[in-house]
Amino acid sequence: MNEFNFKKYAWSKFKQNKPALWSFRILIAIILIALFSPFIANEQPLYVNWEGNKLYPAFNTLTTKSKTDSIWLNNSKKWEVIYYDRIDWRSVSADFKLFAPIAYSAEFNDTYNRDFIAPWDNQRYKNDKGEITSVPWYLKHWLGTDKIGRDVAAGLVHGAKISMFIGLISIVLAGSIGLLLGTVAGFFGDNTIKISRIQKVMIWIFVVLGYFFSFETSGYIITETFESGNNTLGFIYFFTAIIFWIFIVFLGYKIGSILHFIPYLNHKKFLKVDSLISRIIELLNSLPTLILIITVAAIMNERSLTVLILIIGLTSWTGIARFMRAEMMRIRNLEYIQTAKVMGFGYRKILWKHAFPNAVPPVFVSLAFGVAGAVLVESGLSFLGIGVPDEMVTWGSLLSLGRQEFEASWLVIFPGLAIFTTITIFNLIGEGLRDALDPRLKKNNE
Amino acid sequence: MLLYIVKRILIFIPTLFLISILAFVISVNSPADPVEQLTRAASMEGGVEDKNSAENSIKNEIRKKLGLDLPLFYMSLASWADCDTLHLIPEKKSRENLSRLVKKYGNWQNVQNYNHQLIQFHNLVKTTEYTTEQLEISTDLSFLVLNLQQINQHESINQNFVEINNKIQIINNSSLQIAFQEVKKSYEYLVNHSGGIQRFLPKLKINGLQNQYHLWLFGDIGLDEKRGKNGVLMGDFGNSYSDNQPIIQKIGSKFFYSFILVMLSIFISYLVSIPLGIYAAYKKDQKFDRISSVLVFMLYSLPGYFVGTILLYWFANPDNFVWFPIGGVKDASIYQENWSVFQKISHQAPYFVLPLITYTYSSFAFISRMIRGSMVEVLQQDYIRTARAKGLSEKRVILVHALRNSLLPIITMIADIFPAALGGSVILETIFSIPGLGLEIYTAVISTDIPMIVAVFTLTGLLTVVGYLVSDILYAIVDPRITIK
Repeated sequence: MNEFNFKKYAWSKFKQNKPALWSFRILIAIILIALFSPFIANEQPLYVNWEGNKLYPAFNTLTTKSKTDSIWLNNSKKWEVIYYDRIDWRSVSADFKLFAPIAYSAEFNDTYNRDFIAPWDNQRYKNDKGEITSVPWYLKHWLGTDKIGRDVAAGLVHGAKISMFIGLISIVLAGSIGLLLGTVAGFFGDNTIKISRIQKVMIWIFVVLGYFFSFETSGYIITETFESGNNTLGFIYFFTAIIFWIFIVFLGYKIGSILHFIPYLNHKKFLKVDSLISRIIELLNSLPTLILIITVAAIMNERSLTVLILIIGLTSWTGIARFMRAEMMRIRNLEYIQTAKVMGFGYRKILWKHAFPNAVPPVFVSLAFGVAGAVLVESGLSFLGIGVPDEMVTWGSLLSLGRQEFEASWLVIFPGLAIFTTITIFNLIGEGLRDALDPRLKKNNE
Repeated sequence: MLLYIVKRILIFIPTLFLISILAFVISVNSPADPVEQLTRAASMEGGVEDKNSAENSIKNEIRKKLGLDLPLFYMSLASWADCDTLHLIPEKKSRENLSRLVKKYGNWQNVQNYNHQLIQFHNLVKTTEYTTEQLEISTDLSFLVLNLQQINQHESINQNFVEINNKIQIINNSSLQIAFQEVKKSYEYLVNHSGGIQRFLPKLKINGLQNQYHLWLFGDIGLDEKRGKNGVLMGDFGNSYSDNQPIIQKIGSKFFYSFILVMLSIFISYLVSIPLGIYAAYKKDQKFDRISSVLVFMLYSLPGYFVGTILLYWFANPDNFVWFPIGGVKDASIYQENWSVFQKISHQAPYFVLPLITYTYSSFAFISRMIRGSMVEVLQQDYIRTARAKGLSEKRVILVHALRNSLLPIITMIADIFPAALGGSVILETIFSIPGLGLEIYTAVISTDIPMIVAVFTLTGLLTVVGYLVSDILYAIVDPRITIK
């Protein structure tokens, strides 16, 4: 028996699409580069053998907080104290030094190669004899430097890390909101969930009460955590507060059902979930997203990646929700779901076991396009110098440096190509996924 | 039909309400103190001679005009421990600090007592006479006390107390000592006697029309005390923080170039992409279609600021070609106001070439893909086969029968393109230094000119909503099936 497996079928379909497959491979490469960036671009060598001492500076600075180390030099017969943040490994006369492929990190200021040194220019450094000479190949700035001597190639690697982080995490956020609301709106529609009068009233009261308890009385804790600079903990508190809010609303709903013995209060009506969610989507869609993001980024006291992720995530879920809603509405009316209903399965089981798994695959298409959009927004904002913190090197910030200095074409071309490549591969992956996961869409589109 | 339009307009009102609320929340939560900012802007405008008293009167005037002595909204939700007259405290920082202290310890009486002691102590520090060698320490002391009114963390307050204590020891003044002990005592009392259950009891308070949001939105209408403000609905967004000019005038003067560029670019991109999309659909899966698809796809993925920078690098750079000017919209040294229209256009045209290319290409990619898609779909319909079977020429089938229906999705796109173009103009106008709305937003963001940002946000929101409304109504006119649903 040859059993049909949708995953295998979709993957084989996806593999047939050569551009999409190659994009997928490039994406994996970019993600790997982002993950292993400390070993790809770092001014700390990967391995140093210094008169009998085996050192791993790139690993050491990554794993330990201490910035110093002292070693006994066998030949010179003395103790040497290494300050990792100050030492220039290029001029250390060690027996063997293995540098990272890009021998500089994104923030490292190379004092010998300031003022826009081109990749083809003569690049200089101070060697272990104290002379200033041309660099050997393994210390080259492959893609040149900027005004203060930061390496462009290292900047690209760091930028890849930031772009991927922001793009993927914000789409995970947008995707979870969009999937949840879209599923609820599409599956339940306007005439499935019934709710009594008292429950409706209770929900409204407890929405206000929940807000009061989670943000009015103890909201200062969240603000204080953010002010102390601990963003991660701040967001944990923030989401805890939101979950607490939802819990209180649920409590209100339950309290409402206790009061059902009074017939007037027990009068049940349909809860128009679909209309409600569609209205919210419509509202959010008619906000000028980019201007909203710029506005919010502008009034923030401190720029941080988390804030950027949150804004992008919270504004870009509507497309996914709309898509999911349409998909769910289609599936809801299919015969097998009707059969499941007739057979007496509960809503929960039908939804999670039968409807949801069938609706999800096409949504990956809009997730892929969503990442492309998020990367575009992030790099645009950092191009303007609004989004990410000033000292952080990103593709957008490198490009904006290039705009200020036209001589330095390498500062424009390489970051620009990086952004272009990333957006293209996500768009191509999106197209490939569309063809593989949703044959109907393909037919409509051609 | 009419019912449908009315329905759409009714939906449009809550959206506008939401936009106004969002804009108001943004303007209230901004870190800058509007009174400080506007006072600075006002004093920069006209040289103020008698600094302190003049500044204070200006401050009071501004506070009055912005309605900062009013509660925030039509109603407020607070706990029983909160104070409902907190908004009367003039300094933004100390107001926020007091409200934080109340939230923390949940007892307004004690907070008030502490604040009272603090102010008394501050006055005493200022009025005490010092010998010349004490003078330096006393300014430090005064600064420390002032700082105390702006902090609420337990550790930093205690640290501040220790430092103040050291200073007082040096000065060795018994009345200061006593007053300081009082401050310390009241703070300790505050910390040790935090409020009970009342801080967890909600209190809903109705403020009526006398509130900041109402003043901001509607101006003086319905207010007891007239403040000479017209409200956002009448276009009064207040004054800019940077030069104290009315926002709406500034926007009005900047709107022209943005509008021209966006309109021209939309026009050009439609002009190019409609024929391209149609031809690609007609030659579906042939060479032209494939090549144009790939090209359009690449264009679609190219970020505008990258293309803009490359164009500038290539065509406005002394090292390569100097075909076009590097930025701006006119050469101020040659340009004269009394030129004829033709002269003006021919002078300004080169300035618009590169920006227009950058503005146009991405929407062009988007539209032509869309047109191709809908054209392909239409060409598979039965009535097209009928038209061909009737023996109509291919030209007529495509350009008359198919084209009309395939243009439907364009209408919905109008709504999407307009806000996107406005948003995109922030980046592009910055690159090409075009004195439009986008560049204005950028400078406002850089100099945290909050009223300007809020005004632009509100206006673009309004434009977006109107765009959606118009496209919905147009769509309903072209395709009446929509209204039935």
